[in-house]
Amino acid sequence: MAATLVAEDLRRTYGETVALDGVSLSVEAGEVFALVGPNGAGKTTLVRALTGTTDAEGSVSLFGADPRAVDPERVGLLPQAFDPPERLTARELIAYYGGLYDEARDVDAVLADVGLTGDADTWYKDLSGGQQRRTCVGTALVNDPDLLFLDEPTTGVDPAGRRALWRLVEELADGGTTVVLTTHDMDEAHRLADRVGLLADGRLVAVDDPDALVAEYGGDARLVVETDADPGAVDLAYPVERRDDRLVVSGVEPRDIGTVVDALETAGVDYDALTWTEPDLADVYLRLAGEREHGATGRDGPALAGEAGR
Amino acid sequence: MTRADRIRAAFRADWHSFLRRRTAVFFTFFFPLIIVVIFGVLVQTGSGGGGIFAEPPGYYVPGYLAVVVLFTPLSRVGSEVARHRDGNRFEKLATTPLSRGEWLLAQTLVNVVVIGLAALMLLALMVVLTGADLSVGVSDLALVVGYVGLGVALFCGLGAVVGSYAGSQDGVIAASNAVALPLLFLSETFVPPEMLPAWFRPAVALSPLTYFSRGVRAATGGVSSVVAESAFLDPHVSNLFFLAALAGAFLAAGAWALPRTD
Repeated sequence: MAATLVAEDLRRTYGETVALDGVSLSVEAGEVFALVGPNGAGKTTLVRALTGTTDAEGSVSLFGADPRAVDPERVGLLPQAFDPPERLTARELIAYYGGLYDEARDVDAVLADVGLTGDADTWYKDLSGGQQRRTCVGTALVNDPDLLFLDEPTTGVDPAGRRALWRLVEELADGGTTVVLTTHDMDEAHRLADRVGLLADGRLVAVDDPDALVAEYGGDARLVVETDADPGAVDLAYPVERRDDRLVVSGVEPRDIGTVVDALETAGVDYDALTWTEPDLADVYLRLAGEREHGATGRDGPALAGEAGR
Repeated sequence: MTRADRIRAAFRADWHSFLRRRTAVFFTFFFPLIIVVIFGVLVQTGSGGGGIFAEPPGYYVPGYLAVVVLFTPLSRVGSEVARHRDGNRFEKLATTPLSRGEWLLAQTLVNVVVIGLAALMLLALMVVLTGADLSVGVSDLALVVGYVGLGVALFCGLGAVVGSYAGSQDGVIAASNAVALPLLFLSETFVPPEMLPAWFRPAVALSPLTYFSRGVRAATGGVSSVVAESAFLDPHVSNLFFLAALAGAFLAAGAWALPRTD
């Protein structure tokens, strides 16, 4: 499969701040690639570098061309914190951006795609935050792009609207559109992305399909016990650590939950609830991004919990 | 989609955006009204005494027109650039076929229409309220329209430059006022050049608004000693060409200055 997007050794600094530090990536045609990472990790700067809207060292190729020379008809962009003219209706905004292209989709069809048919004639400023964001997504879809950049498309969108946008992205991907999206929603990244790239401190620290990332970095399944008991009070063959008001027992499979419960009962430990969880992308995020945050601040989760009790 | 189609789409969006900002619309037309009322009716011109309002009412036609031709596009386009930058709209537009020059042209056309209407109102007010004699022919009226259009275009270009380099909308307003105020009074508009120190008079030629004033004054039959000295060139047309060249240069500079990257 041909690469739609190839970036090599991208670097961008803002004064002393390093926003991108040697990022290289390749996105195949029809692939959905999600960028995740903490605030300030460089996600938006990377999207800007990929779309040619910031000056970065290194090279970017979209469909084999420089981003500033590529046929704009083939690219759609939803910038982060995009704020279009507020006294135009959703319909007028989509018509405006559609009017800039040689070939644009039918405005009503785009409005239906983003679930705004009923509010199409409401001024943008009078729409809810979620409706505004969906209008903005519509402006990125109006030219039916082959390559779509969505920088935090579901920020401020309610769960129903979010799921509608997820289905829309899935339909676009099924139709062959290449999608690069940034998000803080790990469920969104896991559901939509063929591959996820985790950015931290301007570096792409891990790239793989979501399940592979979870398998490699997510850790073990856990049993979370809500209790005040000391970790040493229970005799278990599993690693146990305290996190806030919980004990986290790692490596517990569902069939072994009874063993842990028996051990808690034997030790006379009172507990309010038990929750068994599989590792997910959020664990990958916390582990990889959290390690970097810990490295930068010298603080981590358990330490913070300890500080709270001081 | 042709260039004209893209400009039309951008024009339509900006036109609706402007007309729906009622406060902006109100003050765009209230501003010239209050200027004429204050200076033309209360202060009065052509009193025959000393001071800056001693010339006949017709002399001040370029000055009153300059109020809207200078201030409105400068602040409107500057603010629009700041709004676009704050809302990441240029980032979005950079990935569309609309070029920066086309965007600025669409903004300019909206301003030409809006300020053209304001200028028309202003001329009517001057005739009614100040008794200015504006019995000009069709060709001279067409020249005035040309001067207003080119003047607006010039200051739209300058507004784009100011908006691109000012850090915020507040900065745009402050910078626009700092640029516009000296230009308004030192461009043969309200202050006749002979009232200025001799050493300063050559500097008046550096203001693009001076050519607007000279041209409009020549077209509307006002008195201008400077124009009279330019015997080898028809002042009606020479100022127009000069203003056109400056407008083109300022529009090009404005389009070049518009942000494409963050």
